Amino acid sequence: MIDIKDLHASIETDQGAKEIIKGLSLSIPDGEVHAIMGPNGAGKSTLSYVLAGRDDYNVTSGQVLLDGLDLLDMEPEERAAAGLFLAFQYPVEIPGVNMSTFLKTSINAIRKQRGQEELDALGMLKLIKRKCKALGISEDMMKRGVNVGFSGGEKKRNEVLQMAMLEPKFCVLDETDSGLDIDALKVVADGVNALRSPDRSFLVITHYQRLLDYIKPDVVHVLAGGKIVKTGGPELALELEEKGYAEFLESAA
Amino acid sequence: MIDVHDLPTPKVEAWKYTNLSRALGNLAQVKSDAPDERVIHIKRGQNGGRIEDILWIGVDGAHQQPRLRIILEEGAQATVVERHTGQGAYWKNMSTEIVLGASARLDHVRVQEDSIEAVQTNMVHITMEKDAYLNSFSLNLGGKMTRHDIHAVLNGSNIECALNGVNVLKDKQHGDTTIIVEHAAPHCISNQFYRTILDDAARGVFQGKVHVHREAQKTDGYQLANTILLSPKAEMDTKPELEIYADDVKCSHGTTTGALDDEPLFYLRSRGLSAAQARMLLMQAFVDEPIEKIADEALRMEMMEKAELWLKEQLT
Repeated sequence: MIDIKDLHASIETDQGAKEIIKGLSLSIPDGEVHAIMGPNGAGKSTLSYVLAGRDDYNVTSGQVLLDGLDLLDMEPEERAAAGLFLAFQYPVEIPGVNMSTFLKTSINAIRKQRGQEELDALGMLKLIKRKCKALGISEDMMKRGVNVGFSGGEKKRNEVLQMAMLEPKFCVLDETDSGLDIDALKVVADGVNALRSPDRSFLVITHYQRLLDYIKPDVVHVLAGGKIVKTGGPELALELEEKGYAEFLESAA
Repeated sequence: MIDVHDLPTPKVEAWKYTNLSRALGNLAQVKSDAPDERVIHIKRGQNGGRIEDILWIGVDGAHQQPRLRIILEEGAQATVVERHTGQGAYWKNMSTEIVLGASARLDHVRVQEDSIEAVQTNMVHITMEKDAYLNSFSLNLGGKMTRHDIHAVLNGSNIECALNGVNVLKDKQHGDTTIIVEHAAPHCISNQFYRTILDDAARGVFQGKVHVHREAQKTDGYQLANTILLSPKAEMDTKPELEIYADDVKCSHGTTTGALDDEPLFYLRSRGLSAAQARMLLMQAFVDEPIEKIADEALRMEMMEKAELWLKEQLT
């Protein structure tokens, strides 16, 4: 269960602190998929970075509880160990660090923090092979630098691969559909759907309804002006696709 | 005895970052040892294999003059490894001459782990004839003040010349790499690829120049110098230069200096790596890139291990 309570967050700008998230509250019970939709500048990406613990954002008040533990008190790596996973909108390229080294280091860092035994080389190899196969990721990709020279689709599949390996309790998907053609979108959505389970919840952040045809949400929220302005069922996404965000832009302003 | 007044001063453009007489202090008054020369001469078409026993040890209070001459006749090849260590304060004033005949192939790896009180100056002169190949790598860890001054002349066509290196410096170390590559003939490739990490109040210098003569058409000349500063007191001076007189060439130079990037750091931490682990991984990757250009696997591993050890000491 993830519980976001009256969250306020700001960034530093040349004109001083600027509040982006302005009292956002949201609860996602285990096993559910919630979508957040909203216009550009609503604070969607800020929300994902604040949840994951990026330095540049200042949380001024509020709580984010994952199974009762406040994530906001934790370092980014502790949040990951606690079960948070952020699938980045723009996965970062890291030249010189190859995929398999990265995955091994990451998996064992998480296992260590969770008090689990670290995997040996063979166990790791088997795990990586199995997960890669399921997502159609070639072994050749494992030899390349993290996200270096990956296509848009490969980058997003790589995010889902990591998600599958790290066994999170709560996944945030930040505009996972951006930069994907329809075939790549299906592969990524299938990967996410395969991870749906009664003890795992998802927050799918997106601008377009299209992604939600493939990853079906239980609840849809509209984020505008830094807070949730409307909540409904999957039909709300279709309504937004038709009418756009104009109504919410006015009410937020 | 050498006279400090005979030394180049920072007033000379090429020496402006290297205040040799100040770094030497009293050592300049010490009597010079006789030159200690080592010659590697591989005859025409011969394979000299791996020559790994070159070791110059600095001795406290000494003014040493090691000389290294590597001569590869036409079609000859060799891998030469050169190591430097020492104890106390000394001046190792070295000269290196590399002469590569037509189609000669040299892999040259230099590991500089001189004492933290030492001064090392190394003037390197390289001449290459047509179809010759040089892959050189230099790891600079030691010395109070070091200057690695490389002057390469590409005399024939189809030469490939790579001058790569990693400089990792801390405390008040000063490490200067100055390179001039002269493209005097057409269809040659030259590469300069240096990565530097500076901690504490260390100062690094990279002056690299590609000089393309008028007759050197179809030259490929590249130069890249990246530096990571780990401390606000560390300082890097980079001066990349291209001087081109031919009109059909591909040349580029790039240089970056800054702190470790936040974005990859955050990405790695969001995947469970501690801040220290993430920094270590990123910096290892940073220095490994030029090291990976070393052809010999055992040497490549050795250089990576040395760099990794240095990084571990800095990060803990």
